[in-house]
Amino acid sequence: MRSRLGVRLSRFIAIAALAAVGLVPGVARAQADDLVLTVGTDQNLRVLNPWFSVTVADYEIFQIQYDLLVSFGIDLQPAPGFADEWSSSDDGMTHNFHIREGMLWSDGEPATCADVEYTFEFVLEAVNSDRGFVGSGYLEPYLTNTGLESVECEDEHNLVAHTAHPSTLLTQAYIPILPEHIWSQYSMDEIGRRNDPNHFANDQFPVVGTGPYVAAAWERGSFIRMERNENYWGTPGVPDAIQFQNFAGADTMDQALRRGEIDYTGGLTADLFDALDGVENIQTAEGYSNGYTMLSFNTRATQPGYNGSTSALEDPAFRDALGFAIDRQALVDRALNGHGVAGLTHVPPYHANWHVEPDNPRDFNIDTANQRLDAAGYSRGADGRRVDKEGQPIEIRITWPDSEEVAPTVAQFIEGWWEQIGIGVDAYVTEEATLIDDLLGPEYGDQYQADWDANIWGWVGDPDPTSLLSLFTQDQIPAGINDCFYSDDRYDELFQEQLEATSEDARLAIIDEMQQRFYDAACYHVLYYDSVLHAMRTDKFTNWTNQPPVGGTPIFGYGYSGYLAIQDATAQPSPGPAETTDPGATAGPATPAPSGAPTGSAGGDSTPLIIGAIALIAVIAGGFWFMRRRGAAVEEE
Amino acid sequence: MGARYLTRRLLSAVATIAMIVLINFVLFRAMPGSPERMLLGRLPGVTQEVLEGTRERWGLDKPLFPDQFVAYIGATLQGDLGFSYTEAGSTVTEVLLSRLGPTLLLFGLGELVAIALGLALGAYSGWKRGGLVDHVGNAISLFLYSTPYFLLGMALLVTFATALGWFPTFGMVTPGRQYTDVLDHFGDIARHLALPLATVSLGLIGQYAILMRSSILDTLTEDYVTTARAKGLPEGRILRSHALPNALLPTVSLVAINIGYVVAGAITVEVVFNWPGLGTLTVEALSARDYPVLQGVFLLLSVTVVLANLAADLIYGVLDPRVRT
Repeated sequence: MRSRLGVRLSRFIAIAALAAVGLVPGVARAQADDLVLTVGTDQNLRVLNPWFSVTVADYEIFQIQYDLLVSFGIDLQPAPGFADEWSSSDDGMTHNFHIREGMLWSDGEPATCADVEYTFEFVLEAVNSDRGFVGSGYLEPYLTNTGLESVECEDEHNLVAHTAHPSTLLTQAYIPILPEHIWSQYSMDEIGRRNDPNHFANDQFPVVGTGPYVAAAWERGSFIRMERNENYWGTPGVPDAIQFQNFAGADTMDQALRRGEIDYTGGLTADLFDALDGVENIQTAEGYSNGYTMLSFNTRATQPGYNGSTSALEDPAFRDALGFAIDRQALVDRALNGHGVAGLTHVPPYHANWHVEPDNPRDFNIDTANQRLDAAGYSRGADGRRVDKEGQPIEIRITWPDSEEVAPTVAQFIEGWWEQIGIGVDAYVTEEATLIDDLLGPEYGDQYQADWDANIWGWVGDPDPTSLLSLFTQDQIPAGINDCFYSDDRYDELFQEQLEATSEDARLAIIDEMQQRFYDAACYHVLYYDSVLHAMRTDKFTNWTNQPPVGGTPIFGYGYSGYLAIQDATAQPSPGPAETTDPGATAGPATPAPSGAPTGSAGGDSTPLIIGAIALIAVIAGGFWFMRRRGAAVEEE
Repeated sequence: MGARYLTRRLLSAVATIAMIVLINFVLFRAMPGSPERMLLGRLPGVTQEVLEGTRERWGLDKPLFPDQFVAYIGATLQGDLGFSYTEAGSTVTEVLLSRLGPTLLLFGLGELVAIALGLALGAYSGWKRGGLVDHVGNAISLFLYSTPYFLLGMALLVTFATALGWFPTFGMVTPGRQYTDVLDHFGDIARHLALPLATVSLGLIGQYAILMRSSILDTLTEDYVTTARAKGLPEGRILRSHALPNALLPTVSLVAINIGYVVAGAITVEVVFNWPGLGTLTVEALSARDYPVLQGVFLLLSVTVVLANLAADLIYGVLDPRVRT
């Protein structure tokens, strides 16, 4: 027994010693001289096949490694991407794109017009097939909205595209240009059906793209590493590699940023963001949201199958009056800690060129709300509660999905304000999948019964306002998207007109009218445009440049300009005539070492770990030893 | 051990697993709403045709019984757990396997360390009842037993990783690092493993210590211990060869039961340390409503608990002849 224990113990020590030995070189070794930008995200990368992109991380990755036909500049204007020049005919239906000469894919193959032709024809084929879509079905509308009919290559560097109607939106098409020599080996099914036995997941590393960095390694659920594309056509970025690290929670991400283990975080909560203010070597960026949070109404309340609690919901005058009893600025200040802008129209201020304030904004005024409700014929009962035209006391059910974290606070405020105007509120959360179904009425499908009065939810848009405008056309009712059932023939006409507008001024006038019409109908009350909260370290990289400059963030925007703008924070400026203002000049081998302060990845101090390991072994050994010693001591007695 | 005992145990386990498979199916199909609307429903530009096509692709348009049920049973028996909704192109089995290793590493080691330390502490406390080790050990055990995993984890994280910087704050490996050899890789994992392992071990030590202590106290009053003392055997030998083996019996059961709770704790510990195991997978799949993956996780964990309990029964049968009827 004693000997067996001894054998067990010594075996254990041997294993532990081996572990300790393994720890020493692993910790003491520093990372090679790569300058790596590490970005923390709370949205996991799920797919590398762009047709299936759903999360923010999916999109960010594909827009770094692939070029769009036309990219987005620092102020969201069209900028050279796969094409370096473009023009449209006077009638706006024929479009020419010049593909940059001498461009190579990251594997060395020439990048030419054939790649654009392949990619766009792939979309057209998918849309025209029986199935009607490919992958998640989210990217095709960027081409179908332009009315694209055909593309052809006049030669290796000149593409001609024909659209069925005038369109300026080809330069906004958010479709990555894929390498024909790789993707054409796979059929539409193999690319677009995830359960096809030969499904092409695009996970052969390194991925072949034309962007400045391409995916080189992917630990699912953990991180993805993108390495520099040596064949990139533009000025190389300063980082040698970019890593996206996945985090399950914002707290851990915040800790990692403070420790210098990551260089950038998106998706912080308001209190974490505020706590970073003033912290050394950390800079924050508050970006306008390309989207909004709204209070939406069931405007078909008493129609069969819609099950709203009161006919008042169908009355625009009623809904309009309620809007005067919502203090949107107070919601921003109290529910968002000030990180947002009070809501007005359904085209957010992020779209600086297209957002137009309404002529008759509903400023917060309880008296006005009361007057308007009186004028609209909603008198108060004996208990102070207003009754509708059928004599029923009005109580509005307000619900929201469990994914909306701020909504409960918002609902509480609304309940307080509406009590002052005699409107009751029943506020409650609904599980998201259930809520989606509750919002769908018979127009979605015969067996569907809507059951709601008002909901708090939100929308997010694209660089072009088309997608946000499209939400309220009538064909989006059967699609389950136009949840307030806004039905306006004129709005539908205007939507088509703005798609085909040939000048910015003309388009602005149309979009202005659309915003005003939707605002007047009070189908939604847009509550606020909640800001996006990002933070970044400045001791490793500087010159973080927001896109757009006012109200944008450096990355997680559109295109990859933010990644190319950042500079090495510790690089010494080169003296004398070599110094230029071209950001590209400070990148590359001329930059003197050392590169960057030691981060967690460079290996921390190994001593505590050794001490800890030895302590662990000692405790375990001690446990065994005590038991042995008990016996020995007694025997000696 | 008798064949009848073995057979009974095995049949019982199989029956339980069958029940689990059935519940698995019903539970996730009974949830309200539809996965394709959940994933794609509020994306502008996604038409109803797309949604219907997706539904059809996922086999959700067929009637629940018998079509979907039969398909499900057949597939599960062949080990085909379907495709993940969110990680396009990956089967559920692939997703589970890719995340199983880290969890096994963390909790396997954690259990081992906790058992070794907890049993030692508990045995010594019980043997030297009333002594300093007993009092202090008991207090610490109770404290650790009652502290939730995530609290323990956050405390360790904030102290040792953020404040002192001795350990990394997240993950299993340093992202994107190039390793020179196996030991280098091993060392990186060990550095990342230290704090989560400490959390899991500390969380479990309390239970084992307390249980072992009371087990030892029980055996101290047994007749055979009195006999052994009367025969003049040394205290140490009495402890090791007479008291301990009998006191170990409840621990075997506890370890098996713990597998189930440990897995629940896995979620909180893994989320705190961003450990890429089944816990973080479950959280991600939950928020993404990735039902096939959730089903797969549920099935895997339930079967694990059943098998662990089966193993505990069999080991118990080996250890304690009185049970093998």
